[in-house]
Order: sequence, then structure tokens, then C-alpha cells
Amino acid sequence: MLWYKAWLETRSRFLTCLATLTIFCAVFVRHAQGLIGPGWTADYNRLLFVTQQFLVIMWILAVVLLGMGGIVREKAIGTSSLSLSLPVSRARLLAVRVGTGVLEAIALGVAPWTIIFLISFLAGVPILISQVVFYVALLLGGGLTYFAMAVLVSSLLEGEYTAPAVAFAVVLLTAIIFDAWLRPFNLWRMVTGDSYVDRHTYLLAGHFPWRGMLASMSGAAVMLLASIRVIQRRDF
Amino acid sequence: MTNTSVIRTHDLTKSYGSLTAVRGLNLSVAPKRITAFLGQNGAGKSTTIKMLLGMTRPTSGDGTVLGKRITDPAENRESRRKVAYVAEDKPLYGYMTVEQTILFASSFYSDWRPDEAIRLLSEYRLPPQRKVKSLSKGMRTKLALLLAFARRPELLILDEPSEGLDPVAIEHLLQTLVTRAAEGVAIFFSSHQISEVERVADHVCILEKGCLLVDASLDHLRQFYRRIELVFPFPPPEGEFRFTGVERIQTKGHQMSVFASSNAEDVVERAHNLNAVSVEVAPVGLRDIFLETVKEN
Repeated sequence: MLWYKAWLETRSRFLTCLATLTIFCAVFVRHAQGLIGPGWTADYNRLLFVTQQFLVIMWILAVVLLGMGGIVREKAIGTSSLSLSLPVSRARLLAVRVGTGVLEAIALGVAPWTIIFLISFLAGVPILISQVVFYVALLLGGGLTYFAMAVLVSSLLEGEYTAPAVAFAVVLLTAIIFDAWLRPFNLWRMVTGDSYVDRHTYLLAGHFPWRGMLASMSGAAVMLLASIRVIQRRDF
Repeated sequence: MTNTSVIRTHDLTKSYGSLTAVRGLNLSVAPKRITAFLGQNGAGKSTTIKMLLGMTRPTSGDGTVLGKRITDPAENRESRRKVAYVAEDKPLYGYMTVEQTILFASSFYSDWRPDEAIRLLSEYRLPPQRKVKSLSKGMRTKLALLLAFARRPELLILDEPSEGLDPVAIEHLLQTLVTRAAEGVAIFFSSHQISEVERVADHVCILEKGCLLVDASLDHLRQFYRRIELVFPFPPPEGEFRFTGVERIQTKGHQMSVFASSNAEDVVERAHNLNAVSVEVAPVGLRDIFLETVKEN
């Protein structure tokens, strides 16, 4: 029933984000098709690449919102004592919330690209499924770090609005700092596909960045473990 | 059901920086009885309850709930299976309906009684499909009580259970507490409504500034606590009455009021020996005991 609770708690946020992302991608791709002239292949691939840029921005905003919540927020709104009086460990409470958030984040990454794939197919401009998989894998593999960061921030900070405000600020600051001084390690460029796109064909090329993904996932795991530790030690 | 204390604490202390909310609390709550936990706002009642349920870690000291250590998360989790708890602010998830809340809570406890839940749902007139966030304060309190009373726990911990209830619902609540205690459930509840406590409690604990000042059965309090009003033909000799059992002395002119937790007979005898012109001994209600205890400290 904890999964049921997590779903009820996040479903309005999740469904709103899902609808927004999917409709945006569908409208963007559908509208842009009419603008494509002769020699459309590279232009259409470029369009997909641009779509991924916007999708990443919206997806990260969405998963940061999904990462909010949990018993620290419940403390702020006065419901934490109900959750904490259940015969369930704090680690399990957090794990279920993270599990639900990850599943929702995956859905938010897969659904828009599925729609893009279908619209492209129906419009007679089929795209390679390998490209779709590449984009989705980059988005999820790298992007879940942002979700983990949001979970950590929401475990550290009380206040209904403080945690999301700080989480969005962290996203923005890390993007600026890494882009200016630590470009090779810029997660943003990895997630958007900017580091892997061929500037002539606008296709994602080369090998899948397993090492980058592994580093990103490891970072996410560390932040989630830190969140569990913080929650276990905290007074409510 | 254990025969030893359902709650036992040993030098339980909780500090928040320089503020000590609970200091050296040694508490023992007997099974199958109703124990009231009284104290002013900020006395440390809710902090104590939170420590018992593992929500807050003690700064020092330890305790057990149903024989399980409160400082061990796994043991504390085990004890929570057999404890029903209604928190002070009646926390409920606003995004759930009444029905979803009941379904959710029932899934965690093997002692859940579906028939009792249905009966209480009807008795409290709670709309099953209504979202919790749209319920009135009284309705929310009733739902929180339903979640506790629809179970058969070994220990029921209630923090200000009657807050927000109408007189009919309060009456029902008090009757339910008595019934549950008769069924063998230990009840530990905090309240500011002393008249309610006086009606149902077997045992009373009074906490003030984190310290346990009174820990006695209600019968004991009724039997031994007395207020003795004395009038002397001269200014009363206060020092003559400062002995064990005398909690507070107030003097005004030739009159003296002695508040005693025991040894009222000795006070009377001493007054007669000092040629008091008037000696009146009156029993004291729990309200006066509470106010005098708190005032004294």
C-alpha cells in the first residue's frame, strides 16, 4: 500500500507533466514537419535533436518536481507522524517513494519519444528506432541524477516550497558552472546528446557512453544513499 | 499481553540545543489501564510520545514500549505493529479519500477489524468518497480515531484525542476508552481536558518542564490530596507546617491555606496544637492538583 500512497501523492504532478511533455513534443514535431523543405533528412534529424533539448529541460523540471515530497515535506504539512507511526522503516518509506519516482521518470522519458516516433512514422518520415533508443537512454541514464539530487535536497530541507526552489537553483548553477569550467564532465551535454551528435547529419553517432552513464548512475546512487542516511538520523 | 509495564522509560531526556524538552523521565505505564498524561503546552508530552514511537531520538536515556527498546529502530518498528496512535494534529493524507485512508491503514496491521471499521464509519457519519482535505476538523479527528479504534492493539496512545470533537463525540470517545481498557487494552493519553481525564483515567502522570511531578493512581490522589484552610488568632507560623506532604502554603493575614499531597492529619494536628481558631479540610479535585502542581514549579 505504500506504492499506492506514493502513486496517489504524485499522480496529479506526474499526469500533468506527462501530458505537457507529450503534447509539447507531438505539437513541436508535427508543426515543424510543415517547415521542412527539400533535403529533409538532416533537417528532420536536427529537428529531433532540438526537440531533445527542449524535452530535457522540461523533463528535468518534471523529475525535480517528482523528487519532492517524502516525510520531510510531510513534516512541513503536518502528516509525517502518520507515516512514521506505521510499522515500516524509514528506509522503506524512502525507497518506495524513489521507486515510484523512477518509474514515473522513465514514463516521462519514454512517452514523448514514443509519440515522436509514431507521428514521424505516420507522416511518412520514419526515424531510426536506434536513434530514439539512444536519446531515451541518454535522457534516463544521465537525467536520473537530477531526480536523485531532488530527493537529496527534499531530505535535507524542510518547507513546502524551499526544497523545490533550492533544487531548481542547483540544476541551474551546476549547468552554468560545468559549462563554463568543467565542460568535459557536463552532464547536461551528455543528456541532451550534444556531445554525441554528428553536426552534418544530426544523428547521434559513436558508441554509447557507458562510462559516463555509469558515473552518472553512481552519483545518483550516492545521493540516494545519503538521502536514506539523512532520513534515518533525522528527528521528526 | 504482557503483565509488566507496557511503557517504561529510564532517565529519558531530549534536548534541542540549550532547551531541554524532557529531562530524566522515569515513566511506567501499567497494562489494561487508562493512564492520563497531563501537562501544560510545551511540558514535553508530545516529545515523550514521539520518542516512544521512534520519531525522535532521545538525547540520553532509554525506554521500552511493549518490551521493545525505543532506541533500536527495528525493535521500535516491531512494537508499532501492536500500538495504535492518534497524533495531536490528527495527521491524515489530504489527497486520499476517507475510504482510501481506511484501506491504506488497514493493510499494515494484522489486528485490523473490518467489521468495526464499517461500524465506526457509519457511526461517525464519515463520507467514504470525500477527500480528507475537504473534511472538517471534527471529521478528521473522527477518522483518525477510527483508524485507531478499528484495530485491536495492545497499547493505544492518544495525543489530545478529544480536540475538535463535539460533546456527543467526546462522550462516545470516553465510553470507547473505558470499553477498550475493559477489553485489556492499555491506554496512554494526553489531554488538557481535566474533567475528561477525571472521568476515565485510572492513573495520572503530570509533566512540567520535562519533569514528571506526579505519578499516581487517581484513587490515591483523591484519597490523600487535601486543601486545609486554617485561621489563627495571630499571623500564621508558616515554618511550622513545612514538612513532608505539604506541597504549598499560602498566607493572607491570619489565614493560611495548605495544599497537601499526604499527611493532612498531621497538618490538622499541628494546627490544633498551635491554637488555630478554624480548621477546614476539603478534598481536592484533579484540576486543583494539576494547577497547584504546575504553579509550585
